[in-house]
This record gives sequence, structure tokens and C-alpha cells, in this order.
Amino acid sequence: MTKTMTYRDAIREATREEMQRDPAVYLIGEDVGRWGNLFGASRGLLEEFGPAQVKDCPISEAAMAGCAVGSAIMGMRPIVEIMYIDFITIAMDQMINHACKWHQLSCGAVRVPIVFRTQGGVGMRNSSQHSQSLENWFVNIPGLIVAMPATPADAKGLLKAAVRDDNPVLLIEHKALYFTKGEVPDGDYVIPFGVADIKRPGSDVTIIATSWMVLQALAAAERLAQEGISCEVVDPRTLWPLDKETLCQSVVKTGRCLVVTEAPAEGGWSGEAAAVIQEGCWGLLKRPVRRVCGMRTGIPYGAALERAVVPNDEWIAEAARALMRE
Amino acid sequence: MNQEQMLALYRQMVLLRRFDEMCLELKMKDLIMDGFHPYAGQEAVAVGVCAALQPNDVMLSNHRPQGHALAKGSTPRSIFAELLGRRGGVSQGIGGPMQFIDAPHHFFCGSIVGSGVPIAAGVALALKREGRGRIAVCFFGDGASNTGAFHEGMNLAAIWKLPVLYICENNQYGEAMPVREFVAAHPIAQRAAAYGLQGITVDGMDVEAVYAAAQYGATVVRSGQGPAFLEMVTYRFRGHYGGDPEHTYRTREEVEEWRRRDPIPRQRARLLAQGVAEDRLNALEAEVARALEADQAWALEQPFPTVAQATAHVLVGQ
Repeated sequence: MTKTMTYRDAIREATREEMQRDPAVYLIGEDVGRWGNLFGASRGLLEEFGPAQVKDCPISEAAMAGCAVGSAIMGMRPIVEIMYIDFITIAMDQMINHACKWHQLSCGAVRVPIVFRTQGGVGMRNSSQHSQSLENWFVNIPGLIVAMPATPADAKGLLKAAVRDDNPVLLIEHKALYFTKGEVPDGDYVIPFGVADIKRPGSDVTIIATSWMVLQALAAAERLAQEGISCEVVDPRTLWPLDKETLCQSVVKTGRCLVVTEAPAEGGWSGEAAAVIQEGCWGLLKRPVRRVCGMRTGIPYGAALERAVVPNDEWIAEAARALMRE
Repeated sequence: MNQEQMLALYRQMVLLRRFDEMCLELKMKDLIMDGFHPYAGQEAVAVGVCAALQPNDVMLSNHRPQGHALAKGSTPRSIFAELLGRRGGVSQGIGGPMQFIDAPHHFFCGSIVGSGVPIAAGVALALKREGRGRIAVCFFGDGASNTGAFHEGMNLAAIWKLPVLYICENNQYGEAMPVREFVAAHPIAQRAAAYGLQGITVDGMDVEAVYAAAQYGATVVRSGQGPAFLEMVTYRFRGHYGGDPEHTYRTREEVEEWRRRDPIPRQRARLLAQGVAEDRLNALEAEVARALEADQAWALEQPFPTVAQATAHVLVGQ
């Protein structure tokens, strides 16, 4: 059975069910309790579970991340909410140098099961320090899983998987997605990491897209279908571990590949995805892999401006047309 | 404190000092790397604090961890092997001198200054929930008291009344910079007031004074009143790391002056004054040295980890 719900409510449902299932799970972050999160993604949970499981934390990202590390190594299962991904810079030492190292340094004796939940991207006119796409930094860190759900169902399934995983997981939500709706399976719906999802089947061009860009890619595919170009939209769902097989299988079929990210291209995961396709599909590629990525700029304030510096369906459609023309 | 307890503290300090000296020799032979940070001079702090702990209390140490680990219960041979990068070390030789974990002894450390302060708060959060009366103890230095993590972590521990015993080892230098130049308000213990806590400054060169203060602090923490903050005024006799250019930041006279307050001869004099036979102390020292020679020899025979061993456990299930 499924229910129609928003991405925001899917996050809330997954959090609630996991806290019910395991009292060692707790939520810690700025205004996760009284406010119930900026978007309402934890509304009502403080009332239901009390302050032992829903902890409003001072504006101290290093403290919340450090607290998560310390409590996780002692058997608790923290969900740390970093209100905006831009604030994660303050928590980086605890995440990178501790959470992602101590399992290995203890030769497997210690586990650090932490979910770092945060949200990035444009969509609220929050300008350059509240709108970034910073996932690329984290994909390069051994010992960390990086997930980016694009739909309500993926949000629920990936968050549940993250809570149950014994490793540190960074789950990056998107502020433009919270009020999108979709069908979400009831109950224990868990999506394994490293399994991509084909969001739309097609035969001419593979569009690999992440997070909010999946929606842009689907809109582009719809436009292109009217022009006689059939696009397959593939959402990796986890940037690492990466489902190379599904990505490559799609490109083996289409021979053309477009990688779409909101983050700037340089030094980023989009290049990693392109390299995976080049390594796996060389000889079957009809054209070089192309990328459609955010501009290398701070995100501006204006409503039209913030949309103008990140990919949209028209950018993607134009790149796909070019792949067909070349 | 009875004589047996006094002797036990003395023995532990002798062990930590001898262990440190042997590590420095191994460092001079390039068998241990520069990341080794000598603890000599500060033994009274680790030994006095750990004497006030229970075996299952959880310790967060720092980049100068070997003395803390030994005092917490790690075996000398497992720490020798770790510093030598060999299997048999507490982290099987993949961590080295600044970052290793001894889970059975509830010991963690890391080489990012100040980071242990909020982690200790998290450990304490779990221990409070567990409700078995265990506490966290966190060692950090004068330098760490200037980091953001220190402030964030102290505040969190204080507002949530978490059971952490915070031990600031003020050894007078943050690497090569004198504490008078980088801390505006002295003593450092008064920073505790900013978190609504009592801060106590202790003579960190006197193991019995340290023990008494730690007993008091641990009692406060265990009673559920929240964290305690003790500043131990101490001195490192050696450089910041093994082989640092000490002459660039301190004088020989200054080091000599602090060496006159060496906690080990000080405790020895106390024991002699109590009527403990000098022969007994000599025998104790010789026995510690003999055992450490055997531990070092064992450690030097252990194999190095293979690439496969060194890269295992990056993720659970990998």
C-alpha cells in the first residue's frame, strides 16, 4: 500500500517510525523540537517522544556533531540535523576526522552509526551562505555514505536505511523538494544504498541527475519526447556507494549520456559519473559525455537570479538536443 | 591515602616516565615518528586523575595520549607496538602515536586539538542514559581551551548537566607559543565560570594534589550535578614533539626550574619520609624498567600490518 505525501512528511514519517522502533535513535539539531524543523519535518515529535529523543541544540554545529560521535560510539543512534548544508563547515572536523575514522582506527571494534541530515540548494532566495550544493566534498571521504533523495518515497526509504546503517551517512535533502508530493510505500520501506533508480525509461539519451535536478531532468525528458527524443532519467540516489552497473547499462543502451548536477562541475561528482561512464562504456559511446551543472558562482539573492545560475529543464533539453545533433 | 596507594601512584609515574624515555630513544632511531608527543613532566596528572576513576569510565584523550592510555589501563606492550606501527598495537599499528583506540579499556584519542571536548559530552549523554553511574573524562591542553569545539562542547555539557570530568593540562605551551601570549585571562580555570561551572586550579606537579582534586571532581560529576573543570598546572620537560627546536621558544633555565618540581622525586621523597625503605623503591623502579624492556622487545618483534590489514574496516561490513 502507498500513500500520497510530501517529501517533508516522508522524512517525518521515517524519523518517527525509526524512533518508535529503536529508543536509541534520537534527533539533535537547531529547532528540531519546538519548531519541529524549518519545514515541519519533525513537527510533533518532541511532544510524542520527549526531550530524551528530540533534542533542541544550541547553535553549535561542532557540539552537535561531536555529541553525535560520542553517543554513537556508546551505542546510541543519533540523527543530526544540520539546518542548512552551508552550516556543515562548522561540523566538518567531527564528521571527517572522527565519525569517518574511528571504525577503522578501532579495527572494527567501534561503530559510529550517525545520520547527518541536512538540506542544500536554491529555492528560498537564501543567497550565497544558505543555498549551496556542497555534496562533492563528502563523496571524496572514505568511510562516509552520501545519499540525495529526489522523491518522497526515496526520502523515506533512504532515511530509514541511513538510521539502520552502522556507518556515518550524510543525507542531503533539497529545500525546493519539501513540498513536492508522491506515492510513498507504507511501513517498513528501506532502500539499500548503492541502488540507482530509473525514474523514466528511454532509448536515445541517458540523463544521470541528482536531487532536485531529477525533477528538472524529468521535465526536460517530457519536452524532448514531444520532439521525438527519448530520454532515460537515472537517479543514482546515493552518490557513494555508486550503482555503476545501472548507470552503465543505461548508457550501453542509449550510447549518449548527460550528467546533471546543481553543484558546479569542477572537481565534482559529475566528473566522477562521467569517468564511470567513460570507463564502462568506451566504444559504445556515440558522443562524449556532456555535463550540465550549476555555474561556478555564489548563489545570488534575486528570485530569477538564483534560478538562472543552476540548471533547468531548458538547459538540459538543449544539451540533449546537442548530443543528438552532433 | 595509605602507603600502598601512595606507592601505587609512584609506580605508575615511574612507568609512564620510563615508557616516555624509551619512546624518545626509539624516536631518535626513527622507529617512532615525529608525531610522538612526549608526556614527561606531566605524569602526576594522568596518574592522579586515573586513580580517581572506575575501570569502565570512558576517556577522551588528545594528541599526547600515551601517558593517559597507560594510566587508564592499556598495556605498555600494546602502546609500544602502536607507536612503532606494528600489529599488536591497540589499533593494530594503523593509528600511530596520536590517534589510537583501546576499546576494551574505554580509551579514545585524536590529534585534532579541542575535538575531544564535545565528543566527551556525547559519551556522557549516552552514559547518563545508561544510568550505571559511569562518567566520561576528557583531557585537553591550554591550547585546546582556545578552540571553538572547546566552547561549544563545554556549553553543551553544562546546559545538559552531562557527567564529564574535564581536565585541562596547562603545560605552559601550545606547541611553541607560551600560554601567557595566547590566553587573555588567567588562570584558565576561570573559563569554567562562563559555563556556570566551578573551575579549580591544581598543582599538576603533585600527584596527591591531583588525586584529591580528581576525587572531588569525579564525585561531583557522578552525583549528577553536571561537568567539573579542573586545570592542572604542569610542564612538559621535552619538546612539543620528539625533536622539536625547543631553544626557539624557551630557555634551559626555565626547563631546569620546572624540573626541580618533578612530580616523581617529589613523591619519592614523601615515601622515604614515611619510612618506606629506599631499597624497596629501587627494586620497584628496576622491576618497572625490566618489564618495559621485555614489552619493548616484544613490540619490536611484531609484524607490520599489510596493506589489506591497514585498509580494512573503512566501513562496517566492508
